[in-house]
Amino acid sequence: MTLVFRLILIVASFLTTYYILKRIRQSKLQIEYAIFWLIFAGILVVFSLFPEIIALFTRMMGMQLPVNFIFLFFIFVLMLKLFFTTIELSTLENKVKDLTQEIALLEKERMEEERQRGDHLSAGNKRVE
Amino acid sequence: MARRLEKHGEEFMKCLIIIPAFNEEASIERVIDNLREHYPKYDYIIVNDGSSDNTAEICRQRGYEFLDLPVNLGLAGAFQTGLKYAYRKGYDYALQFDGDGQHRPEFIEAMVDKIQEGYDIVIGSRFVTKKKPKSLRMLGSNLISVATRMTTGKKVKDPTSGMRVFNRKMIGEFALNMNYGPEPDTISYLLKQGATIAEVQVEMDERQAGESYLNLSRSMMYMMRMLLSILFIQNFRKRREVK
Repeated sequence: MTLVFRLILIVASFLTTYYILKRIRQSKLQIEYAIFWLIFAGILVVFSLFPEIIALFTRMMGMQLPVNFIFLFFIFVLMLKLFFTTIELSTLENKVKDLTQEIALLEKERMEEERQRGDHLSAGNKRVE
Repeated sequence: MARRLEKHGEEFMKCLIIIPAFNEEASIERVIDNLREHYPKYDYIIVNDGSSDNTAEICRQRGYEFLDLPVNLGLAGAFQTGLKYAYRKGYDYALQFDGDGQHRPEFIEAMVDKIQEGYDIVIGSRFVTKKKPKSLRMLGSNLISVATRMTTGKKVKDPTSGMRVFNRKMIGEFALNMNYGPEPDTISYLLKQGATIAEVQVEMDERQAGESYLNLSRSMMYMMRMLLSILFIQNFRKRREVK
């Protein structure tokens, strides 16, 4: 690995970390989710500072090239994250659906009550819907 | 519910007990009846967190004061609902109270007395005058204490206690912001920001019914989340105070 490439990796990983922390600071992110991205950013920094770790894992897993390990590792991590995000998304969509239906049903109930009350108060007076 | 004195011009302080309840059908009746019978001077509100059991049904039948969440929001979201209610109704203090019978209402008065001395938050602590027993759960509690001490320099002896009372300023801040769950990491964050927090000795019972939310793996996740949050994330947060 050339020095320039390594420098790019280090700078990029620090920038990523900085950006994630900034978003956390602006409270655009819930802490539950921030934790994953913080650990992820940490791994990026560690890998860029100590590429020997990657070489070690590559040998341990019997792979030819460190870059293969990197691809395998990050694709797998991101795939899992995407999967869990999909689950969360489904839960969320379901909740939004339940909420919307709940509001509609409540609104209907409220209007029915109002109409009943109106009928009581002003029998004969036609109510404007 | 007993009629309230006017807030303005009176010295009477309004305190709301917020009781988040998720599947508490076995215990909610006993907890609320006890409150209503022996402590009628406090208002209370149950927040039914989308329970799948008969919690809402029981509240309706017994005529309890309750907010019924149509979906499950988790403790933080449910408690925040109660705080929003307290905020809108102009309560001076809001007390977080469990619906499972762990918390004992006889200690509420001491906590409310304490917060009237001018604290932002008062924690009902099991370990002010008593020693912490040695158990796995208390090891977790100790770790959180140490992390809080490291980042804020202040001692919280019982950070995981779920019995806390908040003043008007905190009610607003908790009610309107993101990442303000009623958890030790929020306490740590607020301490760092200069909030004043006191602890009052209380006793708690073992939960009498229902299943604890925290099993071993969940507890580990909870601990990891709390420690990472206290040690790292809270240092980067910017505060948005509510006026």
